[in-house]
Amino acid sequence: MFAADFRIILPEAILAIWAMGALIAAAWTVKDAATRALTWATAALMLALALWIGTGTGVDSAFDGSFVDDRFARFAKVAILLISASILLMGEGYMTRRALMRFEYPLLIALATVGMLVMVSSGDLIVLYMGVELQSLSLYVLAALRRDSPRSTEAGLKYFVLGAFGSGLLLYGASLAYGFAGTTLFSGIIEATADGVSLGLLFALVFMMAGFAYKVSAAPFHMWTPDVYEGAPTTVTAFFATAPKMAGMALFARVMFDAFGNVTGDWQQIVAFLSVFSMFLGAFGGIGQMDFKRLMAYSTIGHMGFALMGLTAGTGLGVQAMLVYMAIYVTMDLGAFAFIMSMERDGRPVTDIRSLNLYSRERPLVALAMLVLLFSLAGVPPTVGFFGKYYVLHAAYDGGFGWLAVLGVIASVISAFYYLRIVYFMYFGRETQPLDRVMSPAAWVFVVGCAAIMVFGVVNLFGVEPAAAGAAAALVN
Amino acid sequence: MTAAAFTFYLFSLSVLAGGLMTVLARNPVHSVLWLILTFISAAGLFVLLGAEFVAMLLVIVYVGAVMVLFLFVTMMLDVDFATLKGEMARYMPLALFIGVVILLQFAVAYGSWAIAPGTETRVAAPAGAMENTRALGVLLYDRYFLLFQLAGLVLLVAMIGAIVLTLRHRTDIKRQDVIAQMMRDPKTAIEMLDVKPGQGL
Amino acid sequence: MIGLEHYLMVAGALFVIGVFGLFLNRKNVIIMLMSLELILLAVNINLVSFSSFLGDLIGQVFTIFVLTVAAAEAAIGLAILVLFFRNRGTIDVEDVNMMKG
Repeated sequence: MFAADFRIILPEAILAIWAMGALIAAAWTVKDAATRALTWATAALMLALALWIGTGTGVDSAFDGSFVDDRFARFAKVAILLISASILLMGEGYMTRRALMRFEYPLLIALATVGMLVMVSSGDLIVLYMGVELQSLSLYVLAALRRDSPRSTEAGLKYFVLGAFGSGLLLYGASLAYGFAGTTLFSGIIEATADGVSLGLLFALVFMMAGFAYKVSAAPFHMWTPDVYEGAPTTVTAFFATAPKMAGMALFARVMFDAFGNVTGDWQQIVAFLSVFSMFLGAFGGIGQMDFKRLMAYSTIGHMGFALMGLTAGTGLGVQAMLVYMAIYVTMDLGAFAFIMSMERDGRPVTDIRSLNLYSRERPLVALAMLVLLFSLAGVPPTVGFFGKYYVLHAAYDGGFGWLAVLGVIASVISAFYYLRIVYFMYFGRETQPLDRVMSPAAWVFVVGCAAIMVFGVVNLFGVEPAAAGAAAALVN
Repeated sequence: MTAAAFTFYLFSLSVLAGGLMTVLARNPVHSVLWLILTFISAAGLFVLLGAEFVAMLLVIVYVGAVMVLFLFVTMMLDVDFATLKGEMARYMPLALFIGVVILLQFAVAYGSWAIAPGTETRVAAPAGAMENTRALGVLLYDRYFLLFQLAGLVLLVAMIGAIVLTLRHRTDIKRQDVIAQMMRDPKTAIEMLDVKPGQGL
Repeated sequence: MIGLEHYLMVAGALFVIGVFGLFLNRKNVIIMLMSLELILLAVNINLVSFSSFLGDLIGQVFTIFVLTVAAAEAAIGLAILVLFFRNRGTIDVEDVNMMKG
C-alpha cells in the first residue's frame, strides 16, 4: 500500500529531493558559482516532470484520499511546471545583471513549485494547508531576495503580513469545516453537506474563500498586489503573477467542487461578487499607473476577475473556460514580463512606461511582439486573448449569469485604455533617451514566442481546449 | 459551579485578557510577555479538553522557542516605541467597530453549533483506549506520513529563508582560523626592534 | 456544563482580537506578527475543541501541523523584519512608504 502511495507522489518527491540534494551540494562546494548550472538543471528537471505528468492517465488517490491525481490536477501541474521552468530560463539574464544569482534562488522556486503541485492535488484540508504554506513561505523569501533594497524588503514584509493573514483566514475556515463535517477529507465534507449547509458551515465557506481570494489577489483582498509587484525583483514578480495564480485558481476550483459541490448556490454569489469587484478594480486601478510593474499588478487583478467568472458559472463548461483563460493569461504575462525584465537604461532597471517612447524605432520586432501581447491582454479580437475572454463570457452566460457577462464586457473595454496607452508610447511617443539593448536571448525568445502563440493560437489554441475540457470533466460530474 | 467549569472560565478569561493586552500594550516587550500568558492559558484549556500532548507542545515549542525568538528580536531592534504608539487612537474606533461586528456574527453562528448528521461514520481516528501521545504518534508516522514530510519541507524553507535573508559574509573583518593561529611562528609574527632612547621609531 | 459553544466563542473572540490587533498596530510590525500568532492560536483552540467533542484525533494532528507552520512563519517573518529594520531604521511600514498606493 505504501509503495503504491509513493508512486503517485513520485514527481513531487523527485523535485523536493532534487532541491534538497542540490542545496547540500551547492552549500558544501562552490556556492553561488553553481547558480547558473543549477538554474538550467532545475528548469530541465521541471520540463521533464511536466512531460512525464502530462502523459499520465486515470484517476488515483494516495494516503487515504488526501492526495488526488486526476486529469484536473495533471492539467494544473503541467502548467505550473512549465511556468516555473520558463521563469528560471527567461529570468537568468535579469538576475545576473542585478547580481541576484544566489544558489538558493532556483531552489526556492523549486520548493515553491512543490508546494503548488501539492496544492492542486490536495484532497484533504491539512494537505491543502501545508501545500499553501510551503508555497507562501518560499514566496515571502523570494520577494525580499534583494535584501539591500528597501523596496524589496518592504515588499517582502507587506506580502508576509497580508499573506499570513490570508492563510489565517483560510485556516480558520478550514477548522470550522472540520468541526462541521467531522473530517478533513473533501470527500467527507461533500457527504456532510448533502442536505445543505448550516450557518456555521457558511462561515467556514466564507472564510476559506476569503483566504483563496488573498492567494489569487482577487479584489477586495488585493491590497498587497501593487506594492509587492513593484518592490520585488522583476523575475520574482513574473513568478508571482503566473504560477501561484494558476495554482490558487486550480485549488479554488477544486475545493469549491470537490468539497462544496453540493452547495453550489451558496458560493456562486460570493465568487460572482469577487469577480465583478476584481474586474472593475483592475480596470480603473491601472488607469493612472505610469509604472509598468504596478500596471501589471492591476492587470493581474482584472484578469483574475475574468477567470473567476468562469468559476462562477458552476458548470463543467465554466471550469473549462477558467482553465483555458488561465493558460492564456499566464502565456501573455510571461511574454510581457520577459520584456519588462529587459527594460534598462544606463545599467539600471526602469519601469516607467514613458521610457518606452518610440521604442518601435529601436527594435521593431520586439515592439511588434509587445503590441500583439498588449492587444491580447486587452482582449482585442484577432488575438488569443479575445478568445479567452469570449470563453469565460460564454460560460457565464450559459450558467445563467448574463448580467455578469455584460459587466465583464464593460470592464474589458475600460481596461483596454491602459494597455493601448503603452502601445501609443511605443509607436507615437516623444523622442527620449533610448533604453539599453540588454535583452538576453532567452528573454527575446519568450517575448517573441509568446506573441507568436497569441497570433497562431487562434487556429486551435495548441490543444489546450480539449485538455481543459478533460480536466473540467474530472472535477465536475 | 463545578471545578471543571471554574477552570474553564479562569483559563479562558486569562486567554482573552492576555490576547487583548498583547495588542494594546505600549511596550512590545510587555506584549510578548502577555502573549506568553495567552499561550500558557491556552495550554491549560487544551489539558481541560484532554489534549495533553498538544498542550505540552504549546508550552515547550511555543513559549520555549518561538516567544523567546520574538523577545530576542524585539530587544535587538533598537526602536523608539514611544513614537510608534502615538496614533493608535486614530484607528481605535474603526478597529473596535469591526471587532464587535465580527464577534456578534460569531455569537449568532456558534450559539448553537450543529455538527453534520452521520459524523460518527466519518470520524477517521476515534480517540480510543490508547493514551493521547501514543495515539498521535501512530497517526503522525503512519497515516499522515505525507504531511509529516511536507512539514519537514516547510521548516527547511524557513531555515533557507532565514539564512538567505540575514546571513552576511563580511569581508572586512578578521576571522578565527584556529590552525593558522596555532601554527604561527614567533619568528615571523614578532619583529624585534632596537629602539634608541629619545628617538622613537 | 461547558459545551462546545463556549470553546468556540473563546476561539472566536481571540480571533477577533488578533484581527483587531492587525488593524490597530499598523505602525508596529512586531505587534502585527504577534497578532498573527493570536489568530493561529484561535484556530488551534477551535481544532482541539472540535477534536475533543467529536472524539476524533485528526483535529489534534492538524493542530500539530499548524504549530509547525506557525513556528516557520514566525522565523521568516522576523527575518524579513530584521532586514527591513536594517534598511530603514524603523519598523513602521505605514509612514515610510516608498511606494505610493
